[in-house]
Amino acid sequence: MLDALVRDHRVVICVGSGGVGKTTTSAAIALWGAVQGRRAVVLTIDPARRLADSLGLGALGDEPRLVDNAVLARHGVKARGMLSAMMLDQKGSWDRLIARHAPSDEARERILRNRFYLNLSENFAGSYEYMAIEQLCVLAESGAYDLIVLDTPPTKHALDFFEAPERIRDFLDRRLVRWLVMPYLSRGWVAAKAMNRTAGFLFRKLEEATGIAALAEISDFFSAMSGMFDAFSARTDTIHDILRAANTAFLLVTGPEEQVLTEAEFFSERIRALHMPLKGVVFNRVHDEFSTDPKAQGDEAAVEEAVANAGVDAETARWLARNFVDYQMLARGEALRMEQFRGGLSRKVPFVTVPNFESDLHDVAGLRRMHHFLFSERAIPASAARPRRGRRSR
Amino acid sequence: MTEDLFERRVLFVVGKGGVGKSTVAALLAVALAERGKRVLLAQMGPGRRLGEVLGVDGGTDGPAEVLPGLCFLTIDGELALSEYLGLVLPVKRVQKMVVSSKLYHHFVAAAPGLKELMTVGKIWYEEQLESARGKKWDAIVVDAPATGHSLQYLRMPAAAADAFGAGLVQREARKVLDLLRDPERTAVCPVTTAEEMPVNETGEMYAALRDRLQIPLGVLFVNRVHSAPLAPDAVPAPSDGTPLLVADVLRCGREEAGWAAINAHYLARLRSDVPMPTVELPFLFCEEFGLGEVRQLLVGAKSQLAALGTGAPAGTR
Repeated sequence: MLDALVRDHRVVICVGSGGVGKTTTSAAIALWGAVQGRRAVVLTIDPARRLADSLGLGALGDEPRLVDNAVLARHGVKARGMLSAMMLDQKGSWDRLIARHAPSDEARERILRNRFYLNLSENFAGSYEYMAIEQLCVLAESGAYDLIVLDTPPTKHALDFFEAPERIRDFLDRRLVRWLVMPYLSRGWVAAKAMNRTAGFLFRKLEEATGIAALAEISDFFSAMSGMFDAFSARTDTIHDILRAANTAFLLVTGPEEQVLTEAEFFSERIRALHMPLKGVVFNRVHDEFSTDPKAQGDEAAVEEAVANAGVDAETARWLARNFVDYQMLARGEALRMEQFRGGLSRKVPFVTVPNFESDLHDVAGLRRMHHFLFSERAIPASAARPRRGRRSR
Repeated sequence: MTEDLFERRVLFVVGKGGVGKSTVAALLAVALAERGKRVLLAQMGPGRRLGEVLGVDGGTDGPAEVLPGLCFLTIDGELALSEYLGLVLPVKRVQKMVVSSKLYHHFVAAAPGLKELMTVGKIWYEEQLESARGKKWDAIVVDAPATGHSLQYLRMPAAAADAFGAGLVQREARKVLDLLRDPERTAVCPVTTAEEMPVNETGEMYAALRDRLQIPLGVLFVNRVHSAPLAPDAVPAPSDGTPLLVADVLRCGREEAGWAAINAHYLARLRSDVPMPTVELPFLFCEEFGLGEVRQLLVGAKSQLAALGTGAPAGTR
């Protein structure tokens, strides 16, 4: 159960590959925090419209929007704290970052119009990840929240997220930039080529490969950015501190499918190597709805008979029995893989499974249902929200 | 548009993370190989997604044959770039110097989209390779990374042709772009599941492909479709006296019927939002998903493709 994890941490970062219910899990955690009296905010990437609607938020923007507690009350949720939600707007975040740190209006405009910058802010690998962390810093520094839940972008590469700050910093490394840019600026391109035979050769080759315009744009970008490197560098230190703070928790959200789990394993290894250990694992959409021993029920005919004896018509009973045997098979594979995965984790790491509900969870009612599998404390006093199935936590 | 799906040279499989792109890519590759074609199945970017489905390692050091007529390759952008420089800088020593320099690494990291461009460029390169018997590959199936990223890849050639001044990269980018936009040679096959978020994203992707990128569309694959003979509410609810086993059976039935209803709802939305020829792949119940399951899905997919007129007559080998 994740009670302690959420209680003891100010920042909860949900990581994992795409399509595993990260956004829903993040929202459920933030909502639970609000119920517990926390000032919670969830920073999300791409929330389902239905979820935003359900929270009465309409279109989410890149500023935190407060969910009206009356809306939550209408869904039967009593929040002693408060819940805010915001969506990550990558381009907007970059623009604001530039605006905040640009030494002059002229420099700002020059950067914002630079083609290289436009490409960078939209496409640079790790740029999205960097901005998610950047926004996390802004929220953390604002002091307005005591629970910040970050729903991270689905990464093309698991490393992008964790290495983004370092990568951006290296990218903006002054010495390297100076080496790349200054000769060009001070003495011109030709001089650069003459100045250093190696550098000149490299420049010439790269120039051939790319066309001069691109390099000139890059140089111009760096010179316009030159007043901002200290700010970026300081920022990277802040980010580093927040990511490794004792009250920051990484929560892995995953599913029980093989392909997803292979990625999750990789993730968890990397996080450990970066000294940002996993503090919890959530398995979503798990088929574990068996209160009886699945191994004892393999015989489809016997199942069919039992169902028919309970008064179900023969045709439906046949389908139900077939389906049940199928589900058991699925569940066996999942259980095996989850056990294997668990074997690689510290025993202290809470490991929570959320069943595959019969509907997708994209509203407040769905988040409430999820709470019963994520948290042991009876957070929401509503009889209708009792779990259908036995709660499972291993 | 779909008559000749299996006659195209390059099929790009794109879609949101977790919807089963690798499954569909493997399925298309196996289908093509069964038709006697020499097929290259290429995974864009790092990871072991396809390797997991195919049950193989490797493919990172060049095409590796995994089935008769079917080779597997992982394309790493950075590697493709240094390979490319190998073509531009024929002297090994010079090439090594460039690639090992700090400036180069900085440049690779700094030049936005260059890795993506090189990845798509590598596919172009493989497409035009000749062997003694004509083209080296009859068909190339590309397993693209998650939507945002895959569009980023497909967008790069146009962006590069536009952004980079006259030079090698621009010329190369134009060649790649010609391939991408040629309806005789290329088709993009989106993959989705029939659920809210993937369907939303597929709608956006469809519009982007059709209007902005102008890359020819192939067939839409809807993966993991649940079906049930009755509505969730029609499944009897367990009562207090219901035996535990029967209660479990009813719960599983209700769950399956629930997903079938959700899938039906979003399939209807797809039909209006994404007007493309569509193949539905059923959700497969299995302990482990591998090549056997891909072949199982292929049987049903073939008859649907034949019905769409994609030129996959039943029993073609």
